[in-house]
Amino acid sequence: MERVLLVYEKILRKIGLEKFGNLIEIIRINDGPVNSLKKLTYYDDLKKGTLVGTDEFGNRYYNNNYYFFGRNRWVEYADHVGFNYDGSQVPPEWYGWLHYKTDYLPENDPTRPNYPWVLKPSENLTGTKAAYMCYSTTKPKIVVWTPQSKQKA
Amino acid sequence: MALLKRSQNLLFSMNQFQFYLVKKGVTSSVTLHNKENTDNKAVDSVSGSNEVSSKNDKEYRPYSPFNVPLKRENLAEFVVARIDDVLNLARKNSLWPLTFGLACCAVEMMHIAAPRYDMDRFGMIFRASPRQADVLIVAGTVTNKMAPALRQIYEQMPNPKWVISMGSCANGGGYYHYSYAVVRGCDRIIPVDIYVPGCPPSAEALLYGLLLLQKKIKRIALIQKWYRK
Repeated sequence: MERVLLVYEKILRKIGLEKFGNLIEIIRINDGPVNSLKKLTYYDDLKKGTLVGTDEFGNRYYNNNYYFFGRNRWVEYADHVGFNYDGSQVPPEWYGWLHYKTDYLPENDPTRPNYPWVLKPSENLTGTKAAYMCYSTTKPKIVVWTPQSKQKA
Repeated sequence: MALLKRSQNLLFSMNQFQFYLVKKGVTSSVTLHNKENTDNKAVDSVSGSNEVSSKNDKEYRPYSPFNVPLKRENLAEFVVARIDDVLNLARKNSLWPLTFGLACCAVEMMHIAAPRYDMDRFGMIFRASPRQADVLIVAGTVTNKMAPALRQIYEQMPNPKWVISMGSCANGGGYYHYSYAVVRGCDRIIPVDIYVPGCPPSAEALLYGLLLLQKKIKRIALIQKWYRK
């Protein structure tokens, strides 16, 4: 499949249909039409870029300066999360690179502190069983108003 | 070698589409929940619990939060769960927020509609009328004078409706907590689904709040509750 796509790409480029050649190239780089469709469904976008690195959770980070600032760095989330990807799954060291706080990749960043007591980053657990629920042991000063609604049949 | 890689890719992509097949060894959420809490059975037993499992981080997370495997004995429940999935998919991808900008938070609320954050890609369009809106974004300080209007607007919205409280002022009075003219949190007037912290929260934070609301909507088990009754 990859070779076929490569041939198509070259033919299209030679005819002069550069943009269609680019399309075929992007499909080829994203591992064929099936995977391309899958990525399109997941991220609403299909890009080509160089794989800059992966983190401990399996997220993949890409860079391509062909796209303008703000879109030239992106993340593809780990495969096992499926559609349940979330911005908080990006660990803090990659957050800085992804949001242009720094141009250094996490492993090259000299300013990034590496203390032994730093906890492993956790994703946002809102809506799951592990979500943090605060509670108070003192008597509340105010009484919360519960609106009365009609009984449903 | 290439053939092997290709077949692996195919297998992998097939794996992505089996949303509702539960992996072996995972007990269904229904039995787990019923043991824990019997009062709130109808609500809790169908709510999703498989989103994050602390046991295995790398476990595949299916799209649907409802762990209903396809078996002969629970065919009806399976169908009902999938109907819920489709219903929630439609609802969560066409959230129409109502602009209820009361203070500086409103400026950030405008930003999420602008090209940089572009909420339109999530199917969200600002509506000016509460009768066309799904989500009420309370952006800013709710004063005592505005409180009846806020309540009225909430009542005018058609069901299903959700509320996002945006910013410290709407969450709990914020800077004006001790003012005699300010409601100490809009949740004293209307029920709130998502609280977005910040003063004002960035447009990113609000957009993240909206995405969390989408996740919350995904867990609504409307038809399943009806079926269980």
